[in-house]
Amino acid sequence: MHPDELAINGYVDGALGPDEAAGVERHLEGCAACRELVADLRQIGQAAAALGPTEPPAGVWANLERTIRAEGPPARGTGPSTWPWLAAAAALILATAVGLRVGPLAPKPAAPPAADASDSRATAQSVAAELQQAEQHYQKAISGLEQIANAEQGTLDPRTAATLQKNLAVVDQAISESRAALKTEPTSEPAQQSLLDSFKTKIALLQDTVALINEMRKGNDAGAARIVSGLKPKG
Amino acid sequence: MAAAEADADLVARCRAGDVNAFETLYRQHAPRLHALATRMAGSPQDGEDLLQEIFLQAYRKLGSFKGDAALGTWLYRLAVNHCLDHVRSRQAKMGRMTGTLDDDPAHEPAAPRDTPVARLDLERAIRQLPDGCRAAFVLHDVEGLDHREVANLLGIAEGTSKSQVFKARMKLRAILK
Repeated sequence: MHPDELAINGYVDGALGPDEAAGVERHLEGCAACRELVADLRQIGQAAAALGPTEPPAGVWANLERTIRAEGPPARGTGPSTWPWLAAAAALILATAVGLRVGPLAPKPAAPPAADASDSRATAQSVAAELQQAEQHYQKAISGLEQIANAEQGTLDPRTAATLQKNLAVVDQAISESRAALKTEPTSEPAQQSLLDSFKTKIALLQDTVALINEMRKGNDAGAARIVSGLKPKG
Repeated sequence: MAAAEADADLVARCRAGDVNAFETLYRQHAPRLHALATRMAGSPQDGEDLLQEIFLQAYRKLGSFKGDAALGTWLYRLAVNHCLDHVRSRQAKMGRMTGTLDDDPAHEPAAPRDTPVARLDLERAIRQLPDGCRAAFVLHDVEGLDHREVANLLGIAEGTSKSQVFKARMKLRAILK
């Protein structure tokens, strides 16, 4: 009976104990097929161990050089232990924004038919005040995220950064237009909704930016690619 | 300059954005990691892509290099893990697990070899191995890791590592005949 694969393998690698090795050797004396097998496996093992380094094509360094020049110096202290703060900061800011009470946006009961002009003025003032409060909360969240995103913008490749900037410009334009509409018609619910939706879009975009920076810092190209695929130009 | 000091100096220059320093690091280590990546991936094109990803990852992670291990060891670990991620993700995509020994020529006698194994023939034959046994073979027979280390890296039992290496050797023997 032929020795099993573990015995042959172990014999070839010199990893058997003396008794087991002697048993395989006794078998080899009388078995040409196993002798050839052992000789072949040894030759393959020796050839494999002798395989050396291989010179990569010049294009690999050229691509790398382009990428790292575009990225700038690696961040100090990067790595799993120091970068979660970005995600944590983004999460805190989101919590602030989500926790807002956006009362004026809830469908309001129709004004009583008897409401006079002074009631309408009071309602308009109250809606404007609440909207202003909501806007302040959103702006606080936005500026926090902008601070993080701007500080680490260099981590992103120029094309992605340009797409993000373009999207932000589109959202800023929508915010300006909603503000202009509200100036003309302060109680317009569609204009209020549009303004607050634009704030939410901006926060989501800035959050994507921070998440992308995080993935790039971690070297998680797959995660970064998933985020980038969601950054289609808006407008 | 001692090796550790040379590593520290190179890393410090890379961290400061010195691209020439990173090129020095690349030139020192790329040939070994290129060979590893190409053999683990089983394709020269994938090997090049992996090499680029490995060095890009290394560049971005240089800030976390603390000098506990030699720079070459740190890079090598990073490269092995990246190659294994690639192999696993490809296996998952193809829905193919590491093969069994059932389809092996195993103990069937083959004509005896009378010439040494040529390097290029062996490189080509390694590319034809299934992913799972190729990874074990490259790590054990080419890179010189022991079965315990191979098993740890691949997340398999030591006995499975031995089986996979044996399977790879038997397949290579059949291919090289």
